Amino acid sequence: MKNVKHPMDFYLRMDRMPHIWCTGCGIGLTATAFVAAMEKAKLDTNKVCVVSGIGCTGRFAGYIKLDSFHTTHGRAIPFATGLKLANPELKVVVVSGDGDLISIGGNHFIHAARRNIDMVVICVNNFIYAMTGGQVAPTTPLTAYTTTSPYGNFEPPSNIPQIAESSGAVYVARWTALHIRRLTNSIFEALNKPGFTVVEVISPCAQYYSRINRLGDGLDMMKFYHENSQIKHWEPTDNLYIDYQKEIIVGKFVDRERPTYSESYKKWLAE
Amino acid sequence: MKQHPILSALVNAIKISGVDKNKVCVASDIFYSPQEIEPLGFDFFQTPRGRPIPFGTGLKLGNPELKVVALTGDLSTLGGNHLVHAGRRNMELVTVCINNFVYPLEPGKESAKYMFSTYSNFERPFNIPHLGRSCGAVFVARWTALHTKELSTSVAKALNKPGFSVIEVISPGGNYFPGIDSLDEESNLIKYWYEHSEIKNGEDTMNLEIESGKEIIVGEFIERERPTFIDSYNARLSEIMGDKFVPYGGKSY
Amino acid sequence: MKANPKDVRTGVFYIDGDVAAAEGALAAGCKFLGGYPITPSTEAAEAFARRAPQVGAMFIQMEDELGSIATVMGASLSGQKAMTITSGPGFSLMMETIGFGAMLEIPFVIINIQRSGPSTGLPTRTGQADMMQARWGSHGEYEVITLSPDSPQESFDFTIKAFNLAEKYRAPVMLMSDECVGHMTEKVEIPEADKIDLEPRRLYKGPKDKYIPFKPDKDLVPPMVKAGEGYRLYLSPLSHDQRGHPLLSQKSTTRRIVDKIRLNADDIIETKEDGLDDAEVVVVSYGITSRVAYRAIEQARKSGIKVGIFRLITVWPFPDKRITELAKRVKGFVVPEINYGQIVFEVERCVHGNANVVLVPHGGGWVHNPDDILGAIKQIMKAKKRYEGIFEYKTELEKLIFGSGVQKK
Repeated sequence: MKNVKHPMDFYLRMDRMPHIWCTGCGIGLTATAFVAAMEKAKLDTNKVCVVSGIGCTGRFAGYIKLDSFHTTHGRAIPFATGLKLANPELKVVVVSGDGDLISIGGNHFIHAARRNIDMVVICVNNFIYAMTGGQVAPTTPLTAYTTTSPYGNFEPPSNIPQIAESSGAVYVARWTALHIRRLTNSIFEALNKPGFTVVEVISPCAQYYSRINRLGDGLDMMKFYHENSQIKHWEPTDNLYIDYQKEIIVGKFVDRERPTYSESYKKWLAE
Repeated sequence: MKQHPILSALVNAIKISGVDKNKVCVASDIFYSPQEIEPLGFDFFQTPRGRPIPFGTGLKLGNPELKVVALTGDLSTLGGNHLVHAGRRNMELVTVCINNFVYPLEPGKESAKYMFSTYSNFERPFNIPHLGRSCGAVFVARWTALHTKELSTSVAKALNKPGFSVIEVISPGGNYFPGIDSLDEESNLIKYWYEHSEIKNGEDTMNLEIESGKEIIVGEFIERERPTFIDSYNARLSEIMGDKFVPYGGKSY
Repeated sequence: MKANPKDVRTGVFYIDGDVAAAEGALAAGCKFLGGYPITPSTEAAEAFARRAPQVGAMFIQMEDELGSIATVMGASLSGQKAMTITSGPGFSLMMETIGFGAMLEIPFVIINIQRSGPSTGLPTRTGQADMMQARWGSHGEYEVITLSPDSPQESFDFTIKAFNLAEKYRAPVMLMSDECVGHMTEKVEIPEADKIDLEPRRLYKGPKDKYIPFKPDKDLVPPMVKAGEGYRLYLSPLSHDQRGHPLLSQKSTTRRIVDKIRLNADDIIETKEDGLDDAEVVVVSYGITSRVAYRAIEQARKSGIKVGIFRLITVWPFPDKRITELAKRVKGFVVPEINYGQIVFEVERCVHGNANVVLVPHGGGWVHNPDDILGAIKQIMKAKKRYEGIFEYKTELEKLIFGSGVQKK
């Protein structure tokens, strides 16, 4: 069977397989969706760069066979900004986790959205800092247990689509790792849309989040998403908060036009 | 330097609000000279750039009886993340964001805000009240530096309101504003904003963008209730630990 | 002043270095931890988070290290003992604010559970490559105190010591532990509260209107006040005079920030010596490497070589005088470090060419092989001449990785 090639092999660094992600993790599914969207989009693969930060999702760059960069914690977006502004022909995709993008990288996230820098941000949200052992994250729902919220989390969580929208992102969507085809479609739309586009992927974390909170394994979490996610396109982002083990609203929420950073800059120079 | 009206508004606000002046701590990343601060009667800390909010968080959590005001200029560039998370946690701070379109003391640097008239910055500025609201602030307002009475009233309200408040003050200032060569022009600029501002209390924060050539909207926009960080902490731990837990900050449940 | 019995978890435990450090902090009366998760220090923050509600302390996980260290500054000024726990990448991020704390003489403790490599490196493995950064990391002139534990028991003891030093000297104190000690599980004895001595915060007790924030006592350290007590504090990290007012001239207090550690160095420096009376070779080590060095020394002594160990508990301020003194009568110094040479430069500086200095480097990730340290000891014994500069011993690992490896001088 060695000579049989899988259609995805073109995009994956097969010499690095098997990957490190746990059984029941949604990051692998995100990778599949990303590759499928790339196939559909038929972009020039020499010009696509994948940048990821630190964390479980941060390992994404290591498995994708495009120009991929594994950067420092929270700085995937400025790194990507540098790539894009120095060479505007590149198509830059940032794939990172909720802790990396919203916590330490939060400032970069809101400013890149404000400036509408042309990049695709895929944020894999597993509600926890998994790589470092299961600490509380800004997206951890209220009352959930983690290693640094040993009495249950009492801090209200962040709502990633709301932050993205109020900072100025032009495309915001959220899907769970279960909605693989719709996720693929969203990534495809984001790849083709100029400006700062955000796709949030709700992912199970079988090793930490669901284990510490006794929610079962990856499959149990997928069953939960199946029964509790509601597709509501164009829902106002204020309503997208995720409560502990309650309904998750998914869909496409924002799709608007704004001049990108490069366009504004060119216009300003011309004046 | 048009920060003076803000300091005097702060002093007035402390008087109006009735809080203990000794318990007011101001953490600022804008520099004020000791001559300006000493007569005013509160503790003042100049923090590293962009960090008045976490510094203020430390002060508040270290001694929950303090009333902490975080004064910041151009916060959104360096400290935007801290605003988002402090708002989410509803940390009890009054954040006064002084929007002056330039970094003071660093001449010529463009900031995250629109520059007025001939030097239009091509970057879209932050709509600070909208950001404050989206992050969960319980009190959001915007005034210009000349609206001294209204500003004092807002800050006084914020001081007495438990939770995270964001008050933006439009205050184009300093000798570093490109194109401004004289003090006359500077005060004309501030008068311009004062005259071209419209008070619309309760306006939806989505409509509060600042664009050159248009009127700016000022007023108090959001006033709501949310449990503060320390209250949530105490509530959760009392639930879990029962009587064994001594509430932090001395409030009893 | 003695520890508060409510804070101290007296007993005999089997815990790891990280948890021991957190318990040490709580026993010292630390009531605030502003942290951010970073391997390998997360266990300490987790232990603190679990214990904090039981002792009335506050734990907050900030959105990044920049926020964490800023909250520590604020909490310390509001009157609490405050600290943060981090590792390499976080330590680098905190540097600007460490300088801020040094300038304003804010007492705080940073526990750095060192890991390997520049940048992300080997996150789950040990290293000792932040030693110079601890001393020189922030811009500008200031002095720090660092402590290097070699076991969970020492992690507990030294954390208490770190808080005492921080309060006494109002300087940044860093506990430079490492992943090996942090993740090592050993017996830790936590004594009764009345056996733990704590240094109380030096508070100003005079009249409010006569308070001068940076007027030092005889030992060059000024007394402090808390925020919110009506002192009308004005603290700005610009170079300032005694009143705290910005003074952009040579007369500012910056000299004293350096002097208060340098001139008090003899009181601060702590080292452990063993077998130095008749030693011909001295092994200078700190942290986990000391434990490996003990093994090598035991073997060397068995084969007749007179070796002693000079263990640095405080690496900074560096014990210049003792090294210079020893250099006059011994053949050489062996400095094993889990880096490519950092503290060895200090040793060489103090030796003034009077003895040989051999470095046993290690790229990080694991601890030394005692045979390498033994080999370096033998190298000094068989050396027929004075080496120029530092001799870098070619360890087995280096030979394995690099083949021809390191240049011999």
